[in-house]
Amino acid sequence: MTFLVELELETTPTDGIACLAWSTVDQKNLLVGSWDSSLRLYDTDANKQLAKFDHKAAVLGACFSPDGRSVFSGGLDTWLRMWDLQQEEFRVLSTHSRPISSLIYSQVTNNIITGSWDATLAVHDPRSATPKVASYDLPERVYHMDSVGNTLVVAMGGRKINIYDVRKMEKPTQERESSLRFMTRALACMPSGEGFAIASIEGRVAVEIFDMSPAVQAKKYAFKCHRQTIDGNDHVWPVNSLAFHPIHHTFASAGSDGLVSIWDHTAKKRLRQYPQYHNAVNAISFNAAGSKLAIGVSYGWDKGQEGARAPENGRVSIFVRQVTDKEVMPKSKA
Amino acid sequence: MVKKKKTKHVLRPWCWYCERDFEDEKVLMQHQKAKHFKCGHCPRKLNTAGGLAVHIQQVHKLDPEPIENALQGRNGYDIEIFGMEGIPAADVATYKRKKELELGLPVGYFGNKAGEQNKPTTKRNYENRVYTFEELRGMLETHRQLMGREDDKMDTTADASGPVLHAAPQTYVLPTGLPGLPPPIPPVGVPGIPPLSMTGPPGVPPVPVLPFPPSLPGMPPFPPGPAPPGMPPFPPAPGMMPPPGFAGLPPPEALGGPPPGGPSITPAPPRKDPGPWLSKPPSNTTPQSVPSSPMKRMVLASKTPSGPFDPVAAGLKENTVLQWTDMDFSPLERRAEDPKYSQFDASEDIEMNEAGGRSARSRAKARDFLD
Repeated sequence: MTFLVELELETTPTDGIACLAWSTVDQKNLLVGSWDSSLRLYDTDANKQLAKFDHKAAVLGACFSPDGRSVFSGGLDTWLRMWDLQQEEFRVLSTHSRPISSLIYSQVTNNIITGSWDATLAVHDPRSATPKVASYDLPERVYHMDSVGNTLVVAMGGRKINIYDVRKMEKPTQERESSLRFMTRALACMPSGEGFAIASIEGRVAVEIFDMSPAVQAKKYAFKCHRQTIDGNDHVWPVNSLAFHPIHHTFASAGSDGLVSIWDHTAKKRLRQYPQYHNAVNAISFNAAGSKLAIGVSYGWDKGQEGARAPENGRVSIFVRQVTDKEVMPKSKA
Repeated sequence: MVKKKKTKHVLRPWCWYCERDFEDEKVLMQHQKAKHFKCGHCPRKLNTAGGLAVHIQQVHKLDPEPIENALQGRNGYDIEIFGMEGIPAADVATYKRKKELELGLPVGYFGNKAGEQNKPTTKRNYENRVYTFEELRGMLETHRQLMGREDDKMDTTADASGPVLHAAPQTYVLPTGLPGLPPPIPPVGVPGIPPLSMTGPPGVPPVPVLPFPPSLPGMPPFPPGPAPPGMPPFPPAPGMMPPPGFAGLPPPEALGGPPPGGPSITPAPPRKDPGPWLSKPPSNTTPQSVPSSPMKRMVLASKTPSGPFDPVAAGLKENTVLQWTDMDFSPLERRAEDPKYSQFDASEDIEMNEAGGRSARSRAKARDFLD
């Protein structure tokens, strides 16, 4: 067996990558939601597409149930679906009035939480006959959500960020404004539960802390990334995705410039930058063991529909990178 | 006067792969070994890119991956770099220019061994400007007198060529369908003296050229193709200001608040209309034709015409080029608006095994009927 640092999946969606989600039980199974209205399940070790779930429109969010037997998905068709992986059949748990942008399975409450561009959060119990438990109005469209433990962070339009306790969803525990001046594009919670990182369309990442005491808040900071000087002009790309390494407390950022960087946010240093990909990196995700990094590469709509017609933007790839500890471990002070 | 000591800037050794500079070449080599010539499969560090490629191929039997931590376009193995050795002359020149700009030094401060810097020093024997019609006419007259030849036919052609002043010399080619017409001007026929105006690509056979441009001192040669070498590539355009009128930072009320209606408990059947997000295009982001300076247009030529974006008004530096300038809607939302993605309901109907799904389907049919 040859040891491959990075493998490209052989079968890929026919249109851009929208989301990636690893199985919670199986370290090799990856879900890929795409703009081609499909949700695909891959075995990344065998480089094989195991299943394809057709939707009516693009799939923007997907996640596994904790037992790994079912899958939840949501997207432009506004339905929250629950797929049975054995039967390959789905059940519509509920709907939003506008596309579902993000969904999260909370292992604390065993609920599935959806966020939508209709500016609501909805909580569902997948085991119930009437799954929708509650719906909460928000001031803005939900762009992205992530959770760690009891905490749920919801990034919205208008740079708003709400932080919830998943056990008491009636009222947000904190309502914040993004410390970045531009639209929030990505969000990821620290596995340690201390805080979270957000990224904006203006090549910048902010590391934020949940604890509101001034001494701790002093630790929060932001930095520039995913930009390049060309002919004296500073070109700035959106940061499309953030992913924390589940073990080493470092995180990866992915930009429309086709780059993925690994950051050590405690030392405030970049650990590594992988060679540039052929197009924008739309989504990245570490698997639960932190041994693999899935990287979705496709055209990111930065140039609108015209860009979509360009032949060089037609390629869609999913790379699965074997992550060695050396790559993602904070450097020890030598 | 001790304080006024003039600081002399020295170009420190720098790494071609990442354009970082170092105290001395030894440190630079250490850096290259550690950052760029490190094998990803074992702890081995090699001295050169070629060494790394051979190592990966022979020891690990793999294809070498692009060099790590390198700038765009510099991650290949084709150029052998060792410290400062082997850096292409063009890259040395651009790096020097960049450093000079950064430190606010005059052009050519770091010497002009390579690249574009040496060109301005060679003195031109003609002015680089566009001549007025009168000047040209005068030059033509003196030239004719010099050549000792008067030709009425030439005169008319010269008059007619008035609007062609700014064109490349090729446009002065005479119509070829005139047999028997002698080449109008000696320089073409004179062996050993190539016409001065033929600054075009070498190898182009000398074509008959109208009399006035060649061999006239003080004439711009109008070189075809790129601008004369030696000119700075893009002058920084000091007075350039992007068009005003950009609204600024994201207005929070872009959507007019959440839709009315409290939390609904029962799963409602999905709405089959195209969705409110389609009927709500934000008024301030519709494409507008904005008069912009040439500089701006050049930079944004390949961008989405998503209305004017003023980096200065948005609190950015003037020469910042944002790849996503829509402050109200994310790339995903914009993409969802595209007909390709938003018109899904009528075309595709998936068989459902659920009550909610079936009702949705019947609704779609009803709607089709109404339409």
